[in-house]
Amino acid sequence: MQHLSEEQLVAHYYHDDDAPAAAESHLAGCTECRLQFDTISRVLTLVGETPLPERGDGYADQVWTRLRWKLGARRRRARWTSLVAAAAVLAVAFFAGQWWHARNLAPSPVVTASNKPGQVTTPVVQAGAQERVLLVVVSDHLESSERMLTEVANADPRRNFDVAGDRAAELVASNRIYRQSATNRGDQRIASLLSDIEPILVELSHAGKTMSPDDLAAIQKRIESKGLLFKVRVMSTQTGSGGDNPAPAKSNSL
Amino acid sequence: MEVTDVAAVSRAREGDSDAFRLLVERHSRVIFRVAYRMTGNEHDADDVVQEAFLRAYKQLDNFEERANFSTWLHRIAVNCSLDLLRARARHDKHRADITVYDGDEEREREIASSDPQPDRLLLSSELQQHVAAAMDKLSGNERTAFILRHFEGMPVEDIGKTLGIQVNAAKHTIFRAVRKLREALEPLVRSNPCST
Repeated sequence: MQHLSEEQLVAHYYHDDDAPAAAESHLAGCTECRLQFDTISRVLTLVGETPLPERGDGYADQVWTRLRWKLGARRRRARWTSLVAAAAVLAVAFFAGQWWHARNLAPSPVVTASNKPGQVTTPVVQAGAQERVLLVVVSDHLESSERMLTEVANADPRRNFDVAGDRAAELVASNRIYRQSATNRGDQRIASLLSDIEPILVELSHAGKTMSPDDLAAIQKRIESKGLLFKVRVMSTQTGSGGDNPAPAKSNSL
Repeated sequence: MEVTDVAAVSRAREGDSDAFRLLVERHSRVIFRVAYRMTGNEHDADDVVQEAFLRAYKQLDNFEERANFSTWLHRIAVNCSLDLLRARARHDKHRADITVYDGDEEREREIASSDPQPDRLLLSSELQQHVAAAMDKLSGNERTAFILRHFEGMPVEDIGKTLGIQVNAAKHTIFRAVRKLREALEPLVRSNPCST
């Protein structure tokens, strides 16, 4: 009688054999093969008894919560790239406008928006319009920065943190443009805030795919010690409402 | 009518994040199970689940609609797990090198603790450690094939697709895994027949 090979016994255990009935018939009449088969079964049963940690119904939600920002970074890449480009165009247009006004309006004073004859002042209406456009894009930038800082600040410091490096790099590029614009306009409040968040964004953009718990804890400490999240939220709210209700030209917001 | 995986993938490709969320809801727990079996560590398994879905999302354009999304996702999760195991092996080797220099006593203790002795196997946690040690001796492909067949009940054909090998090769890989497990664990089932 030809015995079943070990490979055939394993295949029979998993019902992967080509002739299961023949194997079963052989096992019924062959003690040696039956013993071999029982040993394999016991080993595999033992392996199968190793416990598995439970993951409840809410697990998918947890996975999704951690995942969605990273997905957004990929899908919204085109939008981010456009935003950075738009910011650059706005900055160029803004400074070109200022230069043009300085060149053309300086010798011949303009009439104010109030239309009072003889009253000389700066071109309020055009400056206000430029300001409103900048307010909108800075507000959007601050909201995005706030989301990223919140994500970092709320991450579990005991575990590696998955860094959305591409998104951070895009924010760094926008941040530089807005910071420069704010500095040139003399808006120290926004310039200072953007200066504060820039090193954090730069660090995140250079962190690679994951950040170690130690690095994460260090960056969380920096965010907390400078009260960055709070400052960004306040400024984001102010610039956001400023966009809806534009402040006077000489106000201190971008 | 229920949205199929293929339809969800198609919508996700168009940027519909709710469609991808549906796929996460359907498959995350199964992928966690596989990842845990592969890595033997809860936190690592959670990380593998994240990474697997992220890679899947980035590679959605490469998914062929005639394929099975679950098999495709399993393949990605398995690759993530293997990447992690390789990284861990490098890390462990580094630590082992340091341990050797720490002295022979420590090394002797480590060797002794990995030696299966029937009188030390009364506690189920010790049995689990021996099973884990036996699983650690499997190669990446053996471990993957065995987990997918034994724990997930995946057909051999799909295991072949997951590993990118022929059906017969997949079958043989499962056999090699079982043989290694048997070599390592047979003394335990002989000395502890009640455990099964």
